[in-house]
Amino acid sequence: MSDDEKFRSLEMENRQGFWKASLNPWLIRAKNNPERVAFVLHRVTGFIIIAFLLAHILETDSPVWSQYAPINGLSGWAAWTYIMGIESAWWARLGEWIVAGAVLFHALNGFRLLLTEFFGLGIGKPVEPKPPYEAPTLNAPQRTWLYIEFVVALVLWAFSAFLIFG
Amino acid sequence: MIEMENKASNIQIWQYITAILLIFLLGYHLLQRVPWLFNVSTFDQTLTSAFVYNQYKEAGWALLLLAWVALFHGLNGVRGMLFELHQGKTYNTIINVLFWLVFIVFAAIAALTIVKLPAY
Repeated sequence: MSDDEKFRSLEMENRQGFWKASLNPWLIRAKNNPERVAFVLHRVTGFIIIAFLLAHILETDSPVWSQYAPINGLSGWAAWTYIMGIESAWWARLGEWIVAGAVLFHALNGFRLLLTEFFGLGIGKPVEPKPPYEAPTLNAPQRTWLYIEFVVALVLWAFSAFLIFG
Repeated sequence: MIEMENKASNIQIWQYITAILLIFLLGYHLLQRVPWLFNVSTFDQTLTSAFVYNQYKEAGWALLLLAWVALFHGLNGVRGMLFELHQGKTYNTIINVLFWLVFIVFAAIAALTIVKLPAY
């Protein structure tokens, strides 16, 4: 593969694509690019969370709507208890744990994005671009925050497993 | 010409504003599921009818605000991604209408939970 082809291949891999970047992180090669990994994971976890949120709003409203549409003849708080019974199954707990991991990563990464993008912290001072044109932000504190964030998210995810399955 | 409310920058600014609110609201909501803070021993005990009803009575307004802010943040995020995918007058209108429709329906359901919650 010529240098030109290599460059084009690398450029195509990192080009933002809706489905590729949003739904299937395994399709993207992100060698030496933890920001890219965080970007893709932020989108994937975002989709998991919005799907859960819509279901969660319906679930928490069950004591109300079950009065008009009973579940197995149960309404009000009895319906809530019935739903919680279903959610105590292992597969539902596994789902809760996946959602917990998504929320933890999304929240921590979102906090980093707030600091760097919204408040402009941790991205270093602007410098004149010189070859090989490495972005100075990639060596700034935000990258350290990114690694810390990955570790903290994993530790908290392990803790959430203890809570949910314990 | 792209209308003001469709500009990606505006959409992104709303993401940051709602994210700041979510740090506090979601932080509070997650702590509600930590059993040792409430003198119970398991996660399941924080999900019993009595426990959840009491939490609604204590700070139902915070949970409603959380539902609204989280809904806006999540749906607005999807809207931003859909605008990255494609832009066009009809397309933008459809996405914006769908965004507000889903937001209003689910925000109303969340409000109903607070207003019509039966006594335990």
